[in-house]
Amino acid sequence: MRSLLLQVIAVTTINLKSISQRLWLSLSTVVAVALVVMVLLAFLAMANGFQRTLAGSGSDDIAIFLRGGSQAEINSTVARDQVRLIEDAPGIARGPDGKPLISPELYVVVDGIKRSSLTKANLPLRGIGEQGATLRKGIAITEGRMFNRGANEVVVGKGLLKEFAGFELGKTVAFATSRWTVVGIFEAEGSVFESEIWADLPVVQSLFNRPNVVQTVRARLENPASLAALKSYNDNDARMKLDVKSEAAYFADQAGQTTDVIQKLGWPLAIAMAFGALAGALNTMYSSVAARAVEIATLRAIGFGGFPAFVGTMIESLVLAAIGGVIGAAATYLIFDGLTASTLGGSFTQVVFAFKLSPALIWQGVLLALVVGLIGGLFPAIRAARMPIVAGLYA
Amino acid sequence: MNDLMLVRKNLFRKKLRAWLMIVSILVAFLIFGMLASFYRAFTAGEDAAAADRLVVVNKINFTQPLPIAYFNRVRAMEGVRQVAHLNWFGGYYQEPKNFLIVFAVEPQTYMDVYGNDLDIPADMRQAFLRERTGALVGEAMARKWGWKVGDRVPIASNIFSQKSGARTWDMTIVGIMKAKTPQMDTNFMAFQYGYFDETRSFGKDQIGWMVLQTTSPSVNDKVAKAIDASFANSPYETATDTEKAFNKAFVAQIGNIALIMTLVIGAAFVTILMIVGNTMALTIRERTREIGVLKTLGFSGQRILGMVLGESVLLAMLGGIPGLAIAAFIAFMLRENLANFIPGFAMTPGIAIAGIAMILALGLITGIIPALNAMRLRIAAALGRG
Repeated sequence: MRSLLLQVIAVTTINLKSISQRLWLSLSTVVAVALVVMVLLAFLAMANGFQRTLAGSGSDDIAIFLRGGSQAEINSTVARDQVRLIEDAPGIARGPDGKPLISPELYVVVDGIKRSSLTKANLPLRGIGEQGATLRKGIAITEGRMFNRGANEVVVGKGLLKEFAGFELGKTVAFATSRWTVVGIFEAEGSVFESEIWADLPVVQSLFNRPNVVQTVRARLENPASLAALKSYNDNDARMKLDVKSEAAYFADQAGQTTDVIQKLGWPLAIAMAFGALAGALNTMYSSVAARAVEIATLRAIGFGGFPAFVGTMIESLVLAAIGGVIGAAATYLIFDGLTASTLGGSFTQVVFAFKLSPALIWQGVLLALVVGLIGGLFPAIRAARMPIVAGLYA
Repeated sequence: MNDLMLVRKNLFRKKLRAWLMIVSILVAFLIFGMLASFYRAFTAGEDAAAADRLVVVNKINFTQPLPIAYFNRVRAMEGVRQVAHLNWFGGYYQEPKNFLIVFAVEPQTYMDVYGNDLDIPADMRQAFLRERTGALVGEAMARKWGWKVGDRVPIASNIFSQKSGARTWDMTIVGIMKAKTPQMDTNFMAFQYGYFDETRSFGKDQIGWMVLQTTSPSVNDKVAKAIDASFANSPYETATDTEKAFNKAFVAQIGNIALIMTLVIGAAFVTILMIVGNTMALTIRERTREIGVLKTLGFSGQRILGMVLGESVLLAMLGGIPGLAIAAFIAFMLRENLANFIPGFAMTPGIAIAGIAMILALGLITGIIPALNAMRLRIAAALGRG
């Protein structure tokens, strides 16, 4: 047993030391595997970043009311008397003054200029109720101040400011005949709200010519479990019949489709490229075995078994692939991690998100690399182990 | 035994190695074919745009409405040949996940403005004008849902509701629209604005946007400026742009797709270039002695050069052409499934030609250095080696 181990170590060392003799071929395998891993991880980091942005936006203890069948905030409308019914609904938390903690909101789409392409893009302008900001997690004004109630003032999310031009602090923006001043920049723990512009609800209603129109209502629940009571209240009142769900569920639905599309694009591409890289790896390893035919035969002639030759070739292949995988993951991390981008989200407006690699994703990338190395090494390793001694010595 | 046979024999001397390279080249061109088709589908809107068509939208954003009164004012402007107005309906069939592209349009002007893109038989035109609940359905959409002329279909909206509270509108299919140009996608339907406007519970007398044809592309700029100027400082200011620019900006909203495609295709090709280039160099080096023998037999340097280049080009073609063919086949198979998300997903002759050019380039680039080395090889050195 010990001698077998020593044989394996000896042959593996020879294998690894001989890599430099096939430098270019080995290098091309490493680069090929690295590129495969990069393509995969870039797509996965994109999907992951988008999903985290949306998933981080919703809370379990916030309920959102939408018109039945409207699916997204932009399509929804909630009537005035429905808002009143929601105020009296059970399960909604109340402030010290006894008022329900709800925020009726109007969601309108306005144009902004995307910095990267200099083209127009859809941005959400949200008119929020008095409680609007407190119904979201971790809202913090980082520059300037909150808008004053009743004033033509907006605060702008940090993400939106980064990707779109024209909303810098102190600037005046015009929407039709109305003029608005940007008075503050806010953070929202990287959630989708950082891609929004906020203003006072009554001001948005009047300046956008939509008096008393509300699209959605958000409400703080006494606890996540009281959603059920709220739902049955809603379903049993013929005047309501709205869709009620937790904000977390709403955003999870919104994230699903886009994330799905990105992943469905990333995996097949990476697997197709992996086949290309696999061909390269097989080629390299067969060349390695062929180049060392005399050496392997000599070792066998002096009493080495076939197994060490097998292991040596396998390890050489796995090492090359692993180096490629690690380089690919590191390059993805350096180039893509934290890179911000924006795309159209479920409400037909831009969602700003950052590419985000996670250890689980990196592991998937390295695993793909190792699979390439494993298959790429297996057949050449079998050939090495079975090589007839005499033929090898005369090669 | 001619040169071509020698080339073929040389290529498949190590069968496994040749097949491995063919597979990796195949994969690269499969990726190229798929992504290029995908990208073309994404930008098809840009190609489908007519040079003399302008789009008038609300300046705040194209999802904001315009008053119907604007329609007649634009129609009367100088340089405007004809104009249609459209309204996004947010349609779906039976279940929200079956979403449909549905526009509420004024029939006559709609068929006029899109006359060059859509083929609608005369009797169907008449029926669409006459029938209040009539709808024209694009060929692709009709095929997808198995609809035919005369069918009554309930179309729901995720935005609008009827005054009665109902969320669906009953529509009668009075005609099927066919595309006149390959870029035009027909996965949509249009129904009468009159029917829509009278029955909807809110938004009466508002339209979504206008599409107009100018008398000539040369007046586009002037007309666009005149329209926007005439509505300036009103509660509904307009932004007028060419259809092409509008479609381009819309695609850009989804993200920088061109950049992603270029990076992925680039990565795939760098991989293949390295693998094939290295292997070609290796195989020629292994054959040094033989090349010396060929030269001894009187093969000229050029002939050797041609044979080595022929081998690398043949290799690239054996992998690349099936790769493109498989991509075309997959695109064909996926076309129906993807019609809602990326209409017009197909490999065009343009993509195929670009692909073949790249195959030749790949063959020449991977072969040129080994071929030059082989051509310059001195007989004495070659025979002395190995």
